[in-house]
Amino acid sequence: MTLDTGSGRAGLADTAATRTIVTGDRTGRHRHVGDRGEQRIAWTFLAPFLAAFLLFLVWPLLHGLYLSFTDQSLTGAGGSFIGIANYVEALGDPVMWQSLGNTAWFTVLSTVPLVVIALVMALLVQRGLPGQWLWRLSFFMPYLLASTVISQIWVWIFNPQIGAANGILEAFGLEPIAWLQNPDTNMLAIVVATVWWTIGFNFLLYLAALQNIPETQYEAASIDGAGEWRKLFSITIPQLGQVTVLIVILQVLASLKLFDQAYQMLGGIASETTRSIVQYIYESGFVGYRFGYSAAISYVFFAVIVLIGVVQALATRRRKEHS
Amino acid sequence: MAPPLELSRRRFLTGAAALAGTAFLASCAGLPGGSNARTLQFWHLLSGADGVTMSGLIDGVNAAQSDYRVRPTVLAWGEPYYTKLAMAAAGGRAPDVSVMHASRVVGYAPGGLLDTWDTGRLADLGVDASTFTDAIWRKGFIGDDLYSVALDAHPFILMYNTDICAEAGVLDSDGKLPPITSPEDFLELGRAVAAVSESHGLSFGYLGDGAQMWRLFYTLYTQHGLEIELPEGGQAQIDEDAAVAALSFMQQLLDDEIASRSADYQSAIAEFATGRSGLFLTGVWELRSMQQQNLPIDAAIIPAVFGTPSVYADSHSFTLPHQSAPDEESRDLVYRFVADILKGSFDWAGAGHIPAYLPVTQSAAYADLLPQAHYAEAAELVRYDPPAWFTGSGSRFQADFGAAVQNVLLQGADPAQAIARFRTGVDQRLKTPNPAAPEGARA
Repeated sequence: MTLDTGSGRAGLADTAATRTIVTGDRTGRHRHVGDRGEQRIAWTFLAPFLAAFLLFLVWPLLHGLYLSFTDQSLTGAGGSFIGIANYVEALGDPVMWQSLGNTAWFTVLSTVPLVVIALVMALLVQRGLPGQWLWRLSFFMPYLLASTVISQIWVWIFNPQIGAANGILEAFGLEPIAWLQNPDTNMLAIVVATVWWTIGFNFLLYLAALQNIPETQYEAASIDGAGEWRKLFSITIPQLGQVTVLIVILQVLASLKLFDQAYQMLGGIASETTRSIVQYIYESGFVGYRFGYSAAISYVFFAVIVLIGVVQALATRRRKEHS
Repeated sequence: MAPPLELSRRRFLTGAAALAGTAFLASCAGLPGGSNARTLQFWHLLSGADGVTMSGLIDGVNAAQSDYRVRPTVLAWGEPYYTKLAMAAAGGRAPDVSVMHASRVVGYAPGGLLDTWDTGRLADLGVDASTFTDAIWRKGFIGDDLYSVALDAHPFILMYNTDICAEAGVLDSDGKLPPITSPEDFLELGRAVAAVSESHGLSFGYLGDGAQMWRLFYTLYTQHGLEIELPEGGQAQIDEDAAVAALSFMQQLLDDEIASRSADYQSAIAEFATGRSGLFLTGVWELRSMQQQNLPIDAAIIPAVFGTPSVYADSHSFTLPHQSAPDEESRDLVYRFVADILKGSFDWAGAGHIPAYLPVTQSAAYADLLPQAHYAEAAELVRYDPPAWFTGSGSRFQADFGAAVQNVLLQGADPAQAIARFRTGVDQRLKTPNPAAPEGARA
């Protein structure tokens, strides 16, 4: 049987090949010209993207790598090749490790609620709440705001004396907290602001995925006597597996980029508990003028991201093989 | 309906064209000297009330002559300004003249980012050592070269609400604060004022603001008759006892009775501006906005509680960002522009700053200008940031200081430990050569 099928397939392929050759012979010249024409059109369409890609991605990537081996300064001074000295310094720099740790901690703190709460919100909107459009709109709206705007809003909310956050605490008879200034709470405050700001996107992805689950599955489950919770855990959540993987990947990458809202909400003061790696790259390069060193830290960070990417890819593949 | 509409549109277009033409002619006529005036590019970082005052000064000098016309570019204060200025100077296409904090010049000059001032040319225009206080004039020099010419000194001072202080019974017969010579006296003053104030006796905003913490700290530190020294490649010379005394005193002030332990810059301003506190530790640059609140205010230098009168300050200074091919005629006009601004800097005092040009502050009009005249002595007592490439206004040095000591003020952490932490960070920076200096990039 197996052999038969095999030879059958080979036979088919043979025929196809022969046919191609024949056509090729008959209209070879024409086709060739046509190919070139098509190719030209293809390259014309590709050109704008390729130009931007080479100019703004590939070239900076390579130039940055080169810079990381020099002592280039923002002011034009330096620029001589110094080997791996920047990398040696970066790996021995406690501030670099601390900011890397802060970024990782923020990623953990923010990704979990950004996935879980988004799911809960999507479920509520999909299943229960009346006036779906209003919820959709209001959950997604903050995502449209610029980081500068949400930073200002939350700076006021977290104001130690007149902020809404402390107003609520005081209403419950609790002590006010200097949210953004106290090193025990400032990271939490940034996480809260970030969750409020960006959760709309994950919410929307979940909502779309929820609407794609066939109603028939729920009907079948109902006929079998499944309750709401049963349906949630046995149909809804498993069906959301794919989109959850997507959301987690996107979210981890987004959270690793932590910079603007933290920088703006803390007024640029880099506290040990909140300085993210991106902020340290910025500080080294644009405030400390050390472009070479700053580039080296970026490549250390790049290596970390690649590592996370590989781990995620492996985990996803195993998941797929498993199922 | 159509004809009237058409008519009106035509009339509108004709009118608009006429208007535009008039505006064009008017703008030509408005230019002093027409197209003969050379345009000078001037970068500065003064916004808010300072920015308005600076615009007034520039308009004044523009109108007074027809040889040059200054076009100011205002950039955001702090790090972004200095990054842009450095990049412009590195590219060799810098503006003709710029304002920098005097404390930042030392980080810029060795890298060739700034050109030097010719003291002879300045002297010809009536600007020389005799027209500045010694401390301010000397700050412009690095070695024997003059890199910056100060427009002002803007110290950290003590403002007070005379109504509230009178009610507290702390003013002398002249209606001024009496001399205060010890930390205990100052604390007592704070408590007396707090007793009659709506919220706290004293307003001081510092949360998340390293510069504010540093300004008060360095005032108190230098009152010990000391200055922090930061020798390149060496170790920070910080007197532990003086530093701890200064920080502990700040801690005592922020006891939630005399002053709030959790005030940021804006909330401290709001507290004092709405008359809910009687004393205010602030930079002089807030004077105008306080006066606009119609508060009965007076001001003085911060009392020398540790013995030596001393005032943390910085100066807005004119610098020449490096140009690869400076146009000599423009350079000449820049010298004239700076001299003109200095001579007309009386209005700059309106923004609270102490004009650096002595003929202005020694004038009779200035003596009558209150409360500015009450803290004019600060010009003699100024202490700038310790010179190093990484210090100065809007620098990471001040931010680092804030990060190290904020918890001392906010949560009662140990001052000695905070100073040790600060010292470690500064020593680390001292090991890093000035990235703006070509030979200092890395040995």
